[in-house]
Amino acid sequence: MTSIGTGYDLSNSVFSPDGRNFQVEYATKAVENGGTAIGIRCKDGVVLAMEKLVTSRLMKKDANKRIATVDRNIGVVSAGLVPDGRHFVSRARDEASSWRSTYKAPIPVASLANRMGSYVQAFTLYSSVRPFGITAIVGGFDAETEVDVDGAVGSGPKVGSGGKTQGVKEGGPYLYMIEPSGLYWGYYGAATGKGRQAAKAELEKLNLDPKKGDTISLEEGVKEAARIIYVAHEDSKDKEFELEMTWISAVSGPTKGRHEDVPKELKDEAERLAKKALEGDDEMEE
Amino acid sequence: MVQTTGMLGEDGIHVDMGHLKSGEVNLGTSIMAINFKDGVILGADSRTTTGAYIANRVTDKLTRVHDTIWCCRSGSAADTQAVADIVQYHLGMYGITNDEAPTTQTAAAIFQELCYENKDALSAGIIIAGWDHRHGGQVYSIPLGGSLHKQAYSIGGSGSTYIYGYCDANWKENMTEQEGVKFVKGALQEAIKWDGSSGGVIRMVVLTKRGAERHLYLPDRNYEGPGMDRP
Amino acid sequence: MPGFDFSNHNRNLALHAKGVPLPKATSTGTTIVGALYDGGVVIAADTRATSGPIVADKNCEKLHYIAPQIWCAGAGTAADTEFTTALMSSNLELHSLSTGRKPRVVTVMTMLKQHLFRYQGHIGAYLVVAGCDPTGAHLFTVHAHGSTDKLPYVTMGSGSLAAMSVFETQWKPNLTRDEAVKLCANAIEAGIFNDLGSGSNVDVCVITKDNTQLMRNYLTPNTREKKMRDYKFQRGTTAVLNEKIITKEDITKYVTVQDMGDGEPGVGEKMEVDA
Repeated sequence: MTSIGTGYDLSNSVFSPDGRNFQVEYATKAVENGGTAIGIRCKDGVVLAMEKLVTSRLMKKDANKRIATVDRNIGVVSAGLVPDGRHFVSRARDEASSWRSTYKAPIPVASLANRMGSYVQAFTLYSSVRPFGITAIVGGFDAETEVDVDGAVGSGPKVGSGGKTQGVKEGGPYLYMIEPSGLYWGYYGAATGKGRQAAKAELEKLNLDPKKGDTISLEEGVKEAARIIYVAHEDSKDKEFELEMTWISAVSGPTKGRHEDVPKELKDEAERLAKKALEGDDEMEE
Repeated sequence: MVQTTGMLGEDGIHVDMGHLKSGEVNLGTSIMAINFKDGVILGADSRTTTGAYIANRVTDKLTRVHDTIWCCRSGSAADTQAVADIVQYHLGMYGITNDEAPTTQTAAAIFQELCYENKDALSAGIIIAGWDHRHGGQVYSIPLGGSLHKQAYSIGGSGSTYIYGYCDANWKENMTEQEGVKFVKGALQEAIKWDGSSGGVIRMVVLTKRGAERHLYLPDRNYEGPGMDRP
Repeated sequence: MPGFDFSNHNRNLALHAKGVPLPKATSTGTTIVGALYDGGVVIAADTRATSGPIVADKNCEKLHYIAPQIWCAGAGTAADTEFTTALMSSNLELHSLSTGRKPRVVTVMTMLKQHLFRYQGHIGAYLVVAGCDPTGAHLFTVHAHGSTDKLPYVTMGSGSLAAMSVFETQWKPNLTRDEAVKLCANAIEAGIFNDLGSGSNVDVCVITKDNTQLMRNYLTPNTREKKMRDYKFQRGTTAVLNEKIITKEDITKYVTVQDMGDGEPGVGEKMEVDA
């Protein structure tokens, strides 16, 4: 690293002469060492998956979750420093709860991403703090149906509200990724952590852009997510890992609009197929 | 023993809002808002009183809080104007920060928070009506205690007591705009006729995908015109 | 005992129930009006200030300066109208300086209503706000509790009913400047003659796009006439029926008399002088 010894990397509030903030770049390095995390925005929902590296055989299986629920319909997964990820989630829950108490309705995923982006960015400005050592993937489902005001009584006219504009689609699945600099974008497929390159290469092969024809279903997304985590793990076979996977569908879908763990049967099936696909790869190489 | 203190009535439960701030400007009022086929219609009389004196005979009680979210104000003029100003500010900020117009639900939630949290200091009965692409027209009512009610149509103010029967008998769901205007005008005419604290002109605002359109009906023309404001 | 004392609360309730009225704050009976016309706005006021049943000032000023082209007529508690308008004037000038724009009437109206609402009617200022700004001529009323109205012609104060009767019978759309001034002066005169709380003279202020004209004592319908007779009495008019002279010695029997002396030192007050 050319930055070492120059002094420009010692504080957040110092730029290098060529306009870089080394503290943020070091934070990105911390992310690159973390287990792979991915998110897929499917036609009818979002899947979040995480390669949880097992640091000790003494740890209980399936405990110590790394994917958190922020509001009923929103989940967060992060790669990098685990405590930083916990703090991020805590703040995201505060934001979601504050939105609810102000507007008596769930926060849209885009607004949560915007607020969290601003929060993370603030940690790049002051010498008294360090940037977040995580890249977070925020996935959620904004209700497509009407959401009434929390605490309201009554339901309006029996025939329903008049004057709706036909064909206007609101809500749907959303996916955002927030980096240590505070930069965030919306994605069809997002990957971060150690195996991000391989994961991205796999994500790019999927039909995720609705402008380019039919996109994959949520159930297909779950299977792809499991496979991609297994593929991404290939390069660093050194450690053991557990697959953690959650999903969010519309109110009409399997999760009823909630962010939940993928059911055991489906997850086992996805893992079985993932392992099989990897073995298949090996066979072909022979 | 029942203690009678301050503004509490004999039952120790009901607050006498009439005595809250005597001498201030009140909107002894007839207001209403209805759903119809293409959106919502808000209507109000135009009388503002200080005791027995009419302080304003052409008051505008239909107040814009966003492009297609409006409210009808009843109770204290000062309180309802202050609340509407605050909501207008919040909705303006919402529109800018989220790059998307607020929904009627958002407006109703903010109104309710203000009316409920400050219920001891306010005498405000507000009807909120709005239109947006996603939900179409919606009518919400916030009476004195600060509860929130979603309704097919809502009437409020001192004059409303006289028109419960009229509204119940004549209400139809899914009316056309013409039918809606006729319904509101008919109801308010009755309210003005029987309520001494209501009077003056009838104002209306029609909220549809076309936006907000104002109507005016004058007593000296038997409330037949001039009708809609065409710029 | 420390803390609040509520011992009078029940007594006050009992008194109130027996019909004893609550003590009232002193306020000025007043007539103030305003009217828009084509090209500007006129406001006017009477000049009587009262303190209970006493006329405290026969020629006070109720038209308050806010900005060069924005003026305010005040009714209610005199001190409150005076200080509230002064505060708004000050804040508006700072606002105007920081934005680099001419102040607007809606801005003053909004500042006033927010200020008065915050004080929940305890600031007894009832105001007619008028002026011209880049968006045109404007006229508002602001009540002490913080409510506002926007109308083509307005009246406030104890004489507002008398003044409004003039407007309601004589006002017409598209007034000229002279008609508007005359109408407002008439309305104030109605207050002066028919309302006990209003009296003395008529002050008028006309604000146009490029000029403000304050006409102090535009009408003086209550000038004091020259005395028709000389009330001085000739010396000797009153007959002397008897005469009794009381000497200093006589008084000394009842009170102590201290002689201030005929300029002799040591008697009366003495001033020490530095050597």
